[in-house]
Order: sequence, then structure tokens, then C-alpha cells
Amino acid sequence: MHPSAPPVSAPVEAAPAIEVRDLRRSYGDFEAVRGISFEVQPGEVFALLGVNGAGKTSALEVLEGLAPAGGGTVRVLGADPVRERARVRPHLGVLLQSSGLPGDLTVAETLQTWAGTLTDPRPVPEALAQVQLAHRADVRVRSLSGGERRRLDLALALLGRPRVVVLDEPTTGLDPESRRQVWGLVRDLVADGAAVVLTTHHLEEAEELADRVAVLRAGQIVLSGTKEEIAETQPATLRFTLDEDAPELPRPAGVQVVAQRPRVEWHTRALQPVLAELLAWAAAHHVVLRALEARSASLEQAFLAVAAEASSPST
Amino acid sequence: MTTTHAPAPSAATAPSRLRRVAALARGELRLFLRNRTAVANSGLLPLLLVAAVPALGLDGDLPLGPQLLVAAVGVTLVFVTYYNLVITYVARREEMVLQRMRTGELTGLEVLVGTAVPTLLVTLAQVALVAVGVVVLGEWSAPVEYLLPVVALLGGALLMTVLAAASTSFTRTAESAQVTTLPLVVVTSALSGLITPLSVFPEPVALVARLMPVTPVVELLQLGLAGVTWDGDRVDAAGAWAAAPLPLAVLAGWLLIGTVAATRGFRWAPRR
Repeated sequence: MHPSAPPVSAPVEAAPAIEVRDLRRSYGDFEAVRGISFEVQPGEVFALLGVNGAGKTSALEVLEGLAPAGGGTVRVLGADPVRERARVRPHLGVLLQSSGLPGDLTVAETLQTWAGTLTDPRPVPEALAQVQLAHRADVRVRSLSGGERRRLDLALALLGRPRVVVLDEPTTGLDPESRRQVWGLVRDLVADGAAVVLTTHHLEEAEELADRVAVLRAGQIVLSGTKEEIAETQPATLRFTLDEDAPELPRPAGVQVVAQRPRVEWHTRALQPVLAELLAWAAAHHVVLRALEARSASLEQAFLAVAAEASSPST
Repeated sequence: MTTTHAPAPSAATAPSRLRRVAALARGELRLFLRNRTAVANSGLLPLLLVAAVPALGLDGDLPLGPQLLVAAVGVTLVFVTYYNLVITYVARREEMVLQRMRTGELTGLEVLVGTAVPTLLVTLAQVALVAVGVVVLGEWSAPVEYLLPVVALLGGALLMTVLAAASTSFTRTAESAQVTTLPLVVVTSALSGLITPLSVFPEPVALVARLMPVTPVVELLQLGLAGVTWDGDRVDAAGAWAAAPLPLAVLAGWLLIGTVAATRGFRWAPRR
């Protein structure tokens, strides 16, 4: 933890850095966030996933203190981010989904200006190095590429050594290398004890960074838990190629046949016993299961299933 | 058991409100100075005023020196402070700069004030330049009352800032500010006494004109700089103060209206 971070008394159980209870937010008659609840602990990354319009940014804006809650409560480090703004802000770093910066200031001047408004800013050279922009310090913001601007935005969000960080699609517009650098930065923040909330359209990013995930649909959390718990909501997949003259396959309980031979695909929620039964059958019949794949469900599968439910006519 | 604790005060000292505004204002000033067109225009306007006002003979009730200064303050407040600030606030809102600034420790008020600082400094500099021009022309005369012009200038600058913030609520883009700022600009031109003395209007029209937002600024300037009331009477310092309550009350009233309108209508991000 940074030396200037305030001393924290040792609680019996770690207090959540963020507590959201039954949060609601509306625009006129449209209810964008419909009673969501979650907690984020210090040293944890919590990913909020959902298709466009699911209510992610609307929820985050309340967390960030940019908009009042229509209902429910939000606490950041135990304080209301809107009513107790002055207490929360020195500890909160925010990266908006999209935001602008004056184009005629240089990168270093932009950081210096922002640093002058903060309680405990990092030195500007350190902030520049953190996002690999040291070599662009004297370049005007309008001349930066999209990815460089995003990294400058991130540097501004982290300039005040925040204990709670809200990242709304942090790697949008970044090339793969820059994206991995940002992931490294997020891991460093978490290792220092920061609580991180992030939204992303890159499920790989959530898989890589998040300790826990919630999937939002139409303003409600429809799935939440660890990545593994969420993945377990979807069936695992078994694929193999079978010769036409091979004996008839067994039909283990709970298997859904998605494709027939020669390229067979089964879906099951009991991968291990089904795989064991299949291998035993193959051994007994001297059958070779070519190109055999056995794969647990991924976060992406779970997310796509939720998205498909949302777009189906019955929902 | 779970203990929840509010954020303890950081070991570092939080910057004062003034220091935060000053930090933002330094950045804004740097931006202004990099805009050569804006800098050149800021220098040209006072020169233009000093050249044009004597030629036009705008206000027959006032001697040339005070006439120039009243015109300088009125025109600068409307065309520089108000008009520029509407454009600046709207452009920054549409570019999501204002929303970005609100994610830090700056409060909303500090963001608005810090953003306005270069414009307000230009306003003061332009009035000062015209004052220098008046001295150079040999038209300077001591004000009848010093405090009233200062109140008029500072109160007027504050009012224009507040009205600019309020006007952003019905200004969708920086381009549309050319239209949405027209009511204030037109009313000011027609009814503030800046171009046509109020004494030439019928009394009921003059009374309505005196309730318009820029009129009290013009009235207070005329009272303080030349000891001339709205209907053309000459007064001394005591007479100037005796005539000041109505314009002061109107100025305060507009400040209140503008503040309420800005507080209720100001948006920090583009409409979704």
C-alpha cells in the first residue's frame, strides 16, 4: 500500500470498499437500473458485464458520484459518493467510458493541471511511465492516437493514488499490447489493495482480471459469482470424430446430443463422469476418438446465453 | 461481524478550493494563450471601441470618457463574458471535458469558475485597456463615486457567468449559441441604455427596460462614473447612492434568478 494511504483499523472481517444495495436509476419513465446489489472488497476486481444498454454505465455513474441514485443505497469506503463527495473523492479514481480532454495542452501539462487539483498526486513522470507515455510528454493531446488518449485518461484516473477504481471499458480502442499493459496496471492496483470495478465488452478481459463477475440484463443482475460459478451455469462440451463403422455410442444420462457422427458434439453438466464413461466405452470397443475435446463452459458462453435470452422474442 | 468505516482523512492535505480553481485556471489560461485568434481579438475589441464610440456619439447624456468606459464594460460583459462562456461551457460539455473534470476532487462550481477565469481576466483587461485609451485621449475625469462602478463591473461579470451557465440548458451545440444568446444580446442592445439612453423612452418602457439584466450594470456605471441617473439628471456622490437601490436590487434579483436557473438546468454531459 502507498505510504500516504490512511491507516486502516483492522476489522474483524474486511469491510467492503463498495456496497451497492437495491440500486435503482431511471430516465423519465425508463428504468435503466432495476434494483441491483453487489459488494467489492479491497484487493478485488469486480466485472460488470452486459450488452449495450444493459445499465452498466448508469449504475457506475451513481458509484462515481456523478448522478444520484433513484432508489437504494451506494457506499464507497462507507460513505455516500454524492452526499459525502468530499470524503470519497480523494480515494476514488474514475475512467469514464468516453471523456474529452482539451486538445491544445500537452500530455504533461494535462497531468500537471489535474495533479494541482488532487490531495495526494503521484509525480507526473511516474504517472507518465505508468502508462508508457513518457516519450509523448511534450506532445499535444490532439496529436495523440486513440489508444494513447485512452492511456492518458487512465493515467488521470490513477493520478490521485485511488483506493477504489472504477474503469468503464478501460481497453476500448487499445491494441493488444497496450491492452495487456493495462491489465498489468490493474493487477498492480489490486496487489496494492485497491478495489476495482470494471465494465468491458471483451470477455477475455473479464476472464483475465475479474475475481467476481455480474451479468446485467435490462437493468437487473441475472448472473453473478466467480468466473467458475458463472461458467458452471452453462453445459460443458465434448467433441470427437467417430468413424461411420464404429459401434453405437453409449447415451450417458444428462447428455444432450448437438451433432451426430462423424463429428459428434455433446453438451453435459457432468463432464467428468460422462467423459469417463465415454473413454471406458472407447477402450472396451477399441475405438479411437479422434480430435477429442472436452471443455468446461466459458464465461463467454454464459454471457452469450444470457444475451441470446435477452434477444429472443419471449423475453 | 463487519465493520464499515468512512474514508479516513488522507495523510496529505487536501488542496484548498482556491488552489484547485487556480490549478484549473492555469491550464485554461494556457489554452487561451495558445489560441492566437482569440488573443488578437481580445486586444482588438478595446481599440475598436475607443475608435468607434466617439464617432457614433452613442449617449448624449454622458461626457466622452465615462461614455467610453460604460460602453466598454457593457459590450465586453455581453459579447466577451456571456457569449464566450456560453460557447466554452457548451463545447466542453459536448466534448465530455466537463464530465471528466467532475470525476476528480474539483466540485462542479470549481469546474465552472476555473473554466471561466481566462474569459473573466480578458474582460477585466479589456476594460483596463479602454480606461488607458480614455486617459491617452485626455478624456479621463474622476468618478463621482468609486464603489458603484466596481460593483457594476464585478456584479456584471458574475451575472454574465451565471447567465451563461443557465443558457447552456437550451443550447445544444456551440454553433447554436449564435442563436440562443440572441435574446440577451438584443435586449441589451435595445433596452439597457448602452446604445440608446433610457431617458428617450416613454416612462413605462423605461421602467421595463430598467428591469432587464444588463440595465442595472449600465445604470450603476453611469451613476458612479459620471453622476448621471437613468433619466439624465446630474447628481453628486450622495445622489448617486440615493439612485442606486433599484439597480442594485435588480442586479441581485437577476443573480438569484440566474443562479437558480443554472443550478436546475445545467447539464455536465451531452443529452443521451
